[in-house]
Amino acid sequence: MAALSRPAPLPRRAAPLPRRAAAWPRRAAALAVEVAGAAARRALLLVVLLAVVFAAVEALPGDAATAAAERGESAADLAARRHLLGLDRPLWERFLEWMTALPTGDLGTSAQGRQVTELLADPFPNTLLLGASAFVLTVVLSLALGCWAAARPGRLTDRLIGHAATASFAVPEFVVSVLLLLVLSLWTGWLPAVTVTGADGAPASWAMLIMPVVALVIPQTGWNTRIVRGALADQTATPHVEAAVLDGLPTRQVLLRHALPGAVPAIATGIATSTGMLLGGAVVVETLFNYPGVGTVLAGAVAARDTPLIAGVVICAGAAISLVLLAADLLRARVVGARA
Amino acid sequence: MSATATAGPAAGRPRTRPGRARALCRVAPGALLVLLALGGPFLAPHTLDTPVTAPYAPPGGGALLGGDQLGRDVLSRLLHGGTALIASALLVAVAVTLLATLLGCAAVLRPALGRAVERTADVSILLPSVLGIMLVALAWPGGGRGPVVAAAVLLGVPYAVRIVAGAAAPLASSGYVEAAVSRGEGLAYLAVRELLPNLRATVLALFGLRFVEGVYVISMAGFLQIGPQPPAADWALMVRENAPGILLNPWGVLAPSLAVALLAISVNLAANSLAPQSVYKAVTFK
Amino acid sequence: MKMNRRQVLWAGGAMGATALLAACTSGSGDTAAEPASADDKPKRGGTLRVGALGRAGAITRDPHGSQANESDYLVIALVHDTLTVPGAKPNTLPRLAASWEPSADLTTWKFKLAKGAAFHDGSPVTADDVVWSLRRLRNTPSGASRLPGIKPENIKAEGADTVVLVSDHPNAELPLLTRLTTFVLKKDTADDALDKAPGTGPFKLDWYRGGNARLVRNDSWYAGTVHLDAIEVTMFETPQAMANALLAGQIDVASNAGAVAARTAEARRDIQVLRRPDDMAMPIVMRTAAGSPFADPRVREAMRLVVDRDAMVKQVLSGYGTVANDILGTGDPHYAKDVPQRRRDLEKAKKLLTEAGFDLSRTYDLVTTEDIPGLAESATLFANQAREAGVKVQVVKQESGAFWDKTWKTGDFYTTYWGTNDSVVFFASKTMVSQAATNEAGWADKDFDAAYLKVIGTADETARAAALKELQRIEFDRSGYLLWGMADGIDLATAKVRGLPKLPGYGRVQLENVWLR
Repeated sequence: MAALSRPAPLPRRAAPLPRRAAAWPRRAAALAVEVAGAAARRALLLVVLLAVVFAAVEALPGDAATAAAERGESAADLAARRHLLGLDRPLWERFLEWMTALPTGDLGTSAQGRQVTELLADPFPNTLLLGASAFVLTVVLSLALGCWAAARPGRLTDRLIGHAATASFAVPEFVVSVLLLLVLSLWTGWLPAVTVTGADGAPASWAMLIMPVVALVIPQTGWNTRIVRGALADQTATPHVEAAVLDGLPTRQVLLRHALPGAVPAIATGIATSTGMLLGGAVVVETLFNYPGVGTVLAGAVAARDTPLIAGVVICAGAAISLVLLAADLLRARVVGARA
Repeated sequence: MSATATAGPAAGRPRTRPGRARALCRVAPGALLVLLALGGPFLAPHTLDTPVTAPYAPPGGGALLGGDQLGRDVLSRLLHGGTALIASALLVAVAVTLLATLLGCAAVLRPALGRAVERTADVSILLPSVLGIMLVALAWPGGGRGPVVAAAVLLGVPYAVRIVAGAAAPLASSGYVEAAVSRGEGLAYLAVRELLPNLRATVLALFGLRFVEGVYVISMAGFLQIGPQPPAADWALMVRENAPGILLNPWGVLAPSLAVALLAISVNLAANSLAPQSVYKAVTFK
Repeated sequence: MKMNRRQVLWAGGAMGATALLAACTSGSGDTAAEPASADDKPKRGGTLRVGALGRAGAITRDPHGSQANESDYLVIALVHDTLTVPGAKPNTLPRLAASWEPSADLTTWKFKLAKGAAFHDGSPVTADDVVWSLRRLRNTPSGASRLPGIKPENIKAEGADTVVLVSDHPNAELPLLTRLTTFVLKKDTADDALDKAPGTGPFKLDWYRGGNARLVRNDSWYAGTVHLDAIEVTMFETPQAMANALLAGQIDVASNAGAVAARTAEARRDIQVLRRPDDMAMPIVMRTAAGSPFADPRVREAMRLVVDRDAMVKQVLSGYGTVANDILGTGDPHYAKDVPQRRRDLEKAKKLLTEAGFDLSRTYDLVTTEDIPGLAESATLFANQAREAGVKVQVVKQESGAFWDKTWKTGDFYTTYWGTNDSVVFFASKTMVSQAATNEAGWADKDFDAAYLKVIGTADETARAAALKELQRIEFDRSGYLLWGMADGIDLATAKVRGLPKLPGYGRVQLENVWLR
């Protein structure tokens, strides 16, 4: 889903933190104000997005009543079902009701009559676990690969890494997943083919996480490696790094001590922006490995035109992505502030 | 440290003669693959939609790569299936690049529009892209490739605009553009005559990347059961269609997967050689 | 996929009849035949891990709600009992209702409850519990289609152990209505207590979480001996993931895994492939009403002559199915086997099309979905076959939600599907009588309507059988359906599992007789 979310990172207008070394309490207060402001802005964006989602689901052919209806139901039965689900009320009223219940932690009721919070109670932590593992792994891998390539600019290693990165992000997660499944499970029997959960709602064994995480990591790492490599390339062109090179410092030292710190803001923003991709991949990976997460819930909810459930997933995912973006903003602000 | 700084007019490597030859070498695989995809239907031993063997039959008999889910020849479908995928991805890439370039230039010259683009991109980054595709494609009357291309374009443009705007921003404050503004030139003149010629490298790199993205989106849409109408063949779609029978005939999945990967690599190669390396990288993350 | 699962599930919900004495007679791929050796005396104990299809977002725990998930229905069916259950012969077997009998005019039916039936908490089942449960079922939005012709106030208790149902019209098939959804709960069970409400079934709920569940044996079950210690149900989004889990040894049974999984498993000696014939019909619907290109019966006949049925079964179903003869309800003991099998005849088809003045220059859209495996493929292959007869057919694949909202019941030419195909009368009442709520082809045929009324109003078996034959003949000649074949229901199981279900459709949930070798 990349086009969409392999994004170009936001040119951050994050207001830099006070540059001069101010008194500690003042800096802390300023930081708090900064965080609160950024969080509020992101929350507002999320509300706008939810409104868009409510309206978009309404525009699809069919509704939750026709989707949940059984064959043989008459028009009157269908109307009763529609009333039961509250679909006979105007869209803005339903949106407002859902939004006002949100602060109390109530995400509404699914088309099948279950509490959305209950439906997401297990899947959301499961997806967070999957996504976070993949995220950490991809950050480590792409930093390593990016630095490795940057240390040998223009050489074979650099070009190979560049092409491999492009190829891996162009290959969709389901291709990777299907191949992993074939080789690591069905042919060799090394890993469990699917995830099964126990009474606690979590995967029964950590080995079940391996293939889903790897399937997410491969395309993601391809993308992020390019970001790291690109940021480092820009840094190498800056005067202070060029100066370091002219001083005759070893490449590794120039890269890690001089280029990388300067590249951190760009890398952080770039990688943070691509976290949205993880959820896109999660839909596929969770379906193929039967991993019980929100990705599968989302795909099913759209088919069922189940607006509260869709909105529930959007707000969970949106909140998680917003947090990562916020963290990237802060990191960037800190680095920029510290270097100034 | 802005990435866009390198995207300026002077960023391109000077093209020497050997450089040109090397560029040709890099474009060749992509061109060859495109040619093969275009000529494929004429080389195919069987028609697109007639069963010739058992469903998911392993290679053998008349089918070099075995049968697909309806017992149709995988090889023939592979040869048929490149054109449409390449055409769709190309369409996505052209549309996104074109729209992004126009909007990006306009956004730089008109700050109000620039802010609107920023906000849109901020919102769309929070939208799970899978959901975005489903909502756009399902709301589209009728199925087929149209909605997928539309979804890919609609959801890809906000980011692409940012890239162009980022690259155009330093140009807009440069002397010759400011001079043109003070001459009272219109928006269109400024964008087309002053900004665009200097954005060539960025736009080209953006195009290559968007093409690869297009392939990815079309494949993902196929996974969500959105996409071309049967009996059309499409590499991306073939992977999903034949996945249930992967143990019976792995080639039904492996062959189109390899084709997709090859396409991505060769387009990347071509784009790399047409656009200066630094710009290409910059486009990735800015 | 969600709605489809449910529609498959309930397609046979309201009626249905005898299922064939299934798997044993089904043919080459069937490795389930159980040798009757001394070795095969049921053993007690063990835990069965079973996979069933379902979606996390569509979870429901209400026994009377719309169960979109096969996994949820399985759990409910094992914990709660219905009045009657599907059987092989006769088609309706006693469960909570030990016996039943009609009044002479076939409108009033009395059901006597089984002796010793008790809830899992030990309290006995009373007629009041049953009446409360049936009324609760009847008052859901789908209640009218699940208990057609029975008003809530016409469900009454008579003493402590008899329940009386009064139908608005004579209905010889009424007990069939009580087979699938009449789950009995304790009277006045609150809606928020449904999740843990005690049932009367062969298994008690240990835990349920996110679609997965563990059930333990009910030692004091009134209806027989349960062999398994426990059943663990795992929900799967896709048949493919479920089949992979079985191949990798993570589950013991994959319920409704499909033909491709069966072929994959055939190479494995440690896996049994169980075929339940007559499980799924995937007919093509041709609109019969005026204005449709298929309004002329000769055109519909021609289309039925165009299709190559053997090729359809071979390519679309991988051979896991049987050729059909355009009459729905192939599993019915009264299915008209003597109507000659329609075969491909392109000459006759072309002649009929010319006579009817069918426009061969036009391209006709055949709308389909990917709701169930093979459906879109069947449309694609039919289009290919029609081309050989000079008819241009273009397949239009719609997303499920759009299809059910825009095309179903109104389209000129589309694919549909129905699960549980063991009653000819079921299809007549639901899809072909002119007044039917889901008359998919918009068919209105006076002779057919008359035949139908005769069937459901006749108590005498032979007279009924004759009327049924007439009804099927008309259906064969003129209906809006092209039914090229029937897909088998396919379960996969590891070698140690014995006593698995053999009936199509809902029969797949009957795991109470399973044991492990």
